[in-house]
Amino acid sequence: MDILEVHNLTKNFGNFTAVDNISFSLREGEILGILGQNGAGKTTTIQMLLGVLRPSSGTINYFGKDLQNNREEILEEVNFSSAYTNLPWNLTVKENLTYISYLYDIKNRVERIKRIVEVFRLYEIFNKQIRSLSAGQITRVNLAKAFINFPKVLLLDEPTASLDPEVAKHIRDFLMEERKKFQVSIIITSHNMVEVEEICDRVLFIDKGKIIADDTPDNLAKTIEICHVNLLIKDGLKRLEDYCEEQSLAFKIDARHIIVDVKEKKLGSFLIEITNSGIIYDEISIDKPTLEDYFLGKIKITQKHENT
Amino acid sequence: MKIHRIYGISLRYLFYFRHSLDRLSDVFYWPTIDLLLWGLTSLYFRSQLTTNANFIVFSIISGIIFWIIVWRGQYEITVNILSELWDRNLINIFASPLKFSEWIISFVILGVIKAMISFVFASAIAYLLYKLQIFAYGVYLIPFILLLIMTGWAVGFFVAGIILRFGSKFQSLAWAFVMVFAPFSAIYYPVSILPDWAQRISSLIPSTYIFEGVREVLKTGNLDLNKIYLSLLLNVIYLALSLWYLRNSFNKVLDNGLVKVD
Repeated sequence: MDILEVHNLTKNFGNFTAVDNISFSLREGEILGILGQNGAGKTTTIQMLLGVLRPSSGTINYFGKDLQNNREEILEEVNFSSAYTNLPWNLTVKENLTYISYLYDIKNRVERIKRIVEVFRLYEIFNKQIRSLSAGQITRVNLAKAFINFPKVLLLDEPTASLDPEVAKHIRDFLMEERKKFQVSIIITSHNMVEVEEICDRVLFIDKGKIIADDTPDNLAKTIEICHVNLLIKDGLKRLEDYCEEQSLAFKIDARHIIVDVKEKKLGSFLIEITNSGIIYDEISIDKPTLEDYFLGKIKITQKHENT
Repeated sequence: MKIHRIYGISLRYLFYFRHSLDRLSDVFYWPTIDLLLWGLTSLYFRSQLTTNANFIVFSIISGIIFWIIVWRGQYEITVNILSELWDRNLINIFASPLKFSEWIISFVILGVIKAMISFVFASAIAYLLYKLQIFAYGVYLIPFILLLIMTGWAVGFFVAGIILRFGSKFQSLAWAFVMVFAPFSAIYYPVSILPDWAQRISSLIPSTYIFEGVREVLKTGNLDLNKIYLSLLLNVIYLALSLWYLRNSFNKVLDNGLVKVD
């Protein structure tokens, strides 16, 4: 069942079109990633989905109801967290969570705040003012705020930015658990491709306000033909370097390690040719194309178009 | 309209107030300073005058106390809106089910509470220092307070609309704009001493009729109710216009995105 349906959404700022006629949907319990370069239209889209930016045209329907005409009812079931918004700096974490809890129709506020504090490990900073917290702690408070109303739909704009890897992993696990337990539907924007690959069921790729790809992370990665061959060279590093240049293969060298980007189809002939050239390697591993490769590939294409 | 949401957003401003000692001084410190400065100045005038001395002293002190209501009514609105801009918090509150009208009501409630605290405090100081009994105004106190706070709200909503639309670069209006109305409101002196052109402006300001009324009650013990009706009429017109302007500014801000307001 589609919990969110977006039809022909457009946002113009004067002559500039930030979001250009996009349509997509979000199923119950689905985690949807929105990827794109800075300025692609991701945050503008999230803001329109939250009702804090009025679209120029198009419709946004949650639970089969139009956001514009059913704002209060819908926003009871929606929440967000963004690395780019602040919470009142001179209020404590407790005060922030308390006043925000009253903006929603929550039955047992004290219990809910207690649970949120536990999940997001906020005990030590509970009575501290936001101004005294580190960036990572503020991100955790922002996420805690996003879960205060048991949302059915969560919009997360760079939710784990500035978190250390252990806490980011903990948050990702929590998101997966919430999805599993309560069928929470999540839209997430992130520059952390590993994170997106790990948790997203589907990815939208936005470029210049348009959706240019909509598929699973695996399928998007599969569209990239290039894999990465990692070699620890014992002898013939210079010869391999020359060979790559000759064949126009991209490569990176770090001491004796070399990573060569090779088309999957040509992998066999590549290995035979370097062996025939007398290049000896101690270790070899082959990385399949990832979502990051897809992302970087799209950026390259975009930049090429801009340059021409 | 949900009570818990109005309570929630009011809590946000009360928490903010609790952490801002400078704003605590606005409630107690400035009224005390005004009362001391102006009260002592008028006591000096009393010693130099032979007629109407007490009337002049009490009308000046009453003016100070009643002006607090106008000031606080607008100040609660403008400074609380500014606090949202300083904290870049508009997106957090309006991504929740909070309605624009509930937000406005929270300002009104907090304005009334703080205006009353300042008013009672200043009245107590005035009684202790100058033996002025503010409750001697009797039932007239109710329309006086109500109409003055309405004037404060009208100014506050208009300034809030400007701040929302153009950002915190216009923040000084939150403190300064209401003072434009002070000389024309005839707080400490009768309208008749103003030049003709200024009297015409005064006649368009709702608080003028109240300060004139305060002096009338002080002098005669009675009040021409037309002053109340005129003040009410002007207040209703200005409140409607300022609320329309604020709503319009908010809509404009929604077109550009709440996150961009600063």
